[in-house]
Amino acid sequence: MKKYILLAFAILFVGIYLFPLYWMYVTGLKAGSEIFRFPPTFWPQTLHFNVVDIWVRLRMDRFLTNSLIIALGATAIIVAVGTGCAYALARVRSIWMDVALFATLMMQVLPSSLMITPIFVSFNMVGLLEYPRLAVVLAQAAKLLPLYIVLCRTAFMQVPRELEEAALVDGNSRMGAFFQIAVPLARNGILVTSVLVFLQSFGEYVYSRSLIGERALQPATVGLQSFMGPNTSDWSGVMTYSAIYVTPILIVFVLLQRRIVSGLTAGALK
Amino acid sequence: MKSTILAFAAAGLLASTAMASAEQVTLDLWTIDDPGEYHYVLAEEFMEEHPDITVNVRTVQFRDMVNDLARAVATGNGPDITYIDNPEVALFASRGLLLDLTPYIEKSEVVNAEDIYPGPLASVTWDGGIYGLPRGANTIALYYNADKFREAGLDPDNPPKTWDELYQAAKVLTKPEENAYGIAFSAVATEEGTFQFLPWLQMTGGDYDNVATEGGARALNFWKRLLDEGLASPDTLIRSQWDSTGTFNTGSAAMAISGPWELPRMSEEAEFDYRAALLPIPEEGAERASALGEGDNVILANSDNPEEAFLFLEFLYEQMPRVWNEFGYLPASRVEVNDPKTPTIYAVFEESMKYARNRGPHPEWPRISKAVQEAIQSTLTGQTDAGTALETAQQKIDGVLGE
Amino acid sequence: MAHFWSSIRDSRGFDALLVWLALGYLTVFSAFPLVYNFVISLQTVDLFSLASFDRPFVGLENYREVLSDPVAGTVLWNTIRFVVLSVVFQLLIGFGLALFFQQDFPGSSYLRGLFLAGWIMPALVVGAVWSWILAGDFGVLNYVLRSFGLIDENIFWLSDHQVSLYSVIIANIWLGVPFNMILLSVGLASIPQDLYEAAELDGAGAWQRFYTITLPLMRAPLGAVVSLGIIFTLQQFDLFAALTQGGPSNASNVAQYWSWQLSFQTYQISRGSVVSVLMIVFVIGVAAIYTRSTRYEQNY
Repeated sequence: MKKYILLAFAILFVGIYLFPLYWMYVTGLKAGSEIFRFPPTFWPQTLHFNVVDIWVRLRMDRFLTNSLIIALGATAIIVAVGTGCAYALARVRSIWMDVALFATLMMQVLPSSLMITPIFVSFNMVGLLEYPRLAVVLAQAAKLLPLYIVLCRTAFMQVPRELEEAALVDGNSRMGAFFQIAVPLARNGILVTSVLVFLQSFGEYVYSRSLIGERALQPATVGLQSFMGPNTSDWSGVMTYSAIYVTPILIVFVLLQRRIVSGLTAGALK
Repeated sequence: MKSTILAFAAAGLLASTAMASAEQVTLDLWTIDDPGEYHYVLAEEFMEEHPDITVNVRTVQFRDMVNDLARAVATGNGPDITYIDNPEVALFASRGLLLDLTPYIEKSEVVNAEDIYPGPLASVTWDGGIYGLPRGANTIALYYNADKFREAGLDPDNPPKTWDELYQAAKVLTKPEENAYGIAFSAVATEEGTFQFLPWLQMTGGDYDNVATEGGARALNFWKRLLDEGLASPDTLIRSQWDSTGTFNTGSAAMAISGPWELPRMSEEAEFDYRAALLPIPEEGAERASALGEGDNVILANSDNPEEAFLFLEFLYEQMPRVWNEFGYLPASRVEVNDPKTPTIYAVFEESMKYARNRGPHPEWPRISKAVQEAIQSTLTGQTDAGTALETAQQKIDGVLGE
Repeated sequence: MAHFWSSIRDSRGFDALLVWLALGYLTVFSAFPLVYNFVISLQTVDLFSLASFDRPFVGLENYREVLSDPVAGTVLWNTIRFVVLSVVFQLLIGFGLALFFQQDFPGSSYLRGLFLAGWIMPALVVGAVWSWILAGDFGVLNYVLRSFGLIDENIFWLSDHQVSLYSVIIANIWLGVPFNMILLSVGLASIPQDLYEAAELDGAGAWQRFYTITLPLMRAPLGAVVSLGIIFTLQQFDLFAALTQGGPSNASNVAQYWSWQLSFQTYQISRGSVVSVLMIVFVIGVAAIYTRSTRYEQNY
């Protein structure tokens, strides 16, 4: 019985928490001025289903492809560069490692909106602006790398040191022990952190907006912003756009989530 | 490659004769429009007429335009032609970043500076030079819901003419139980807030360089009264003009102060008899004033193809008679608009244009504007009284003007 | 050469290489902007001299001007309230939910996963949705509160200068809860169950077990969550842009937004940089606390 009371509470919490998400979908389905009505309607009086129209008119396929490219690129760089660092920071305890960890955190202080001017200026100097999507990938990777390192580090903390030491005794090199013992055992944590980083990059906006001029190369967030410019009347359309944008990730996420959540919460060896 | 360079050189040296060269010329154009709007439509038409010129259109968000443009110019990535909002022209012109069009206009058979209305002309003039051509103009007026006027026993053919009448009407039209306000306007802390407030100040004899006046305090207190008595939504403080007028369209406000850009949406959404009137004046016989909006087409000083760029500007300027019906701006120069849409509202805006005054010009306009916004917001939130707030603003503005 | 390779494969060199790889990347792409910010905070810079470094040096003049601006005090106080309240509530709610979902009931891990939806939503969308929910005249939050009889009149969440900062805080808490919850769940899951069982045998109650086992063992994850939370909160920009733009009358203005306004709205770029630099100084403190907190980590 207690279990079901808990379940009921859990559903209530999730319900409250996800209300904004629900509101996004409902607003997307409302027509015209119904969104301004008070009292608000919790279910649209007339369903206004404009997914296809928005998709085609705004060429969302192109936008989403670009978002995907940017998110995948940034995640790849972050995983390649950050995993080893997280491992080293988890294993070695010294003043130098403290300094390194400290420096890593410091690098991600400022919001993108304040970092963009220097990034623009320096990227322009080295000619990176010729490859705008690459430029965004590089900048975004730098933004999320510290987060990845800090989170991944906890995953490596959970890998028992003895296992690695045993591997070293068996004649493995440090590098071998890292790739054959530490990484496989921490893979859940690595996977989950990568997913988080991927999701954040998928929603990247400020860098893309400033570094990518050409419409055909812009990601979905920039498309959304230009769609909801200062004189937006089509709020329902904006919400539809957002829904189209969020739903695929949500579906993938729900499908993968058992693995994600167990990866995060189950101890590495269970 | 070499021939291209030669062609460019020729364009620089021989000016108009370079046009004869068959080389394809590319013009980069930045705009705040989205596909299907002014610059996109007209660039297509222009390219059809001039197959040897390609116009590359890029959309930049309105609020990012100045920053993106400055960054691009500073790093040598600027476009040839761009849209600039009225009050920002001075900023770029004062830095020598814009091409002085005066010699081109003198030679032009299309553009005659005297045809441009004084307000819009002032907005592109800096230090004796003309640095752009207005693409159109806009101004603000009082929209009102004639149906609600009738219901409330007001005469829809006799809209408020003075501030007092406006207040009385707003009071009668406010129905808290129906969530209906008397009036919607925008006191938001952005350029839009300044844009809406300046005419009120100007009607009392003040202006951007002279805000700490009795009339200024009177205007600000009038706004405050509308909010304090619940005749306008408290969200007036954070709503743009567009969002405020949205509440008018849904019937949540009986009057709204905004510009002609509202009309396309209003015609779709507002299911009532909407009309427009000139902005009310402080008292009968007082001076009239109105805001001047819209932006200008300018050529960057370091454009490689100024001749072609000006050709395009001329082409845009020639379309002035179309801007009302097709793009929702008022013409910025004396042209004949045939068969205007919503003719009575057009007539009101056309008259209002006569009183429309430019903001500035001043290269540091955003700081002046910010001082005005802060005065508005601190008064309306009740943190300071109007007189003190305007006094503070005056000090800041004097600081900027004295630099 | 052989020695070099073996040092990379087998000793400290390996760790150093891994760390330098990441630090090198960050130095190239993140440190430069920070240094650049610092440099221009000491110079007179305008929109058009951004790309050159040859600009008049004015020393601490910009700092003096920023600190003597009457807005500075408001912004500082708002920033403190924003950061403290956001972080505290994110942590309390996140920790509470993590503990709740730690219990054994059907669907617990499944439902917990749904909370990550907050992480998926791009900030732009979150801002737009919340601005609808919080709207004064037709917002659904007012409606709900009114129907429950909690308020008689609409609260103008975004335009009442006494409320607007809290509105942004509410939205920010919403955004930060999943991160806190998931990270703390990971920490909770790594506490060996037998510790609890042993304590229960010794007759320790639920609260006692929480104080004597959970809290001490959660020190490291809590430290990480708090310091990352502070940094995320200081990075929060989009919500301000979408909800209040720092208004009305600076009532909800915070350092990161003010810095942006100075640089990008009134083009006083040097002053904007001063605010950024002051934020960095503050975060150096936070980063130091985090680094210290890692000393208490359990290594199995």
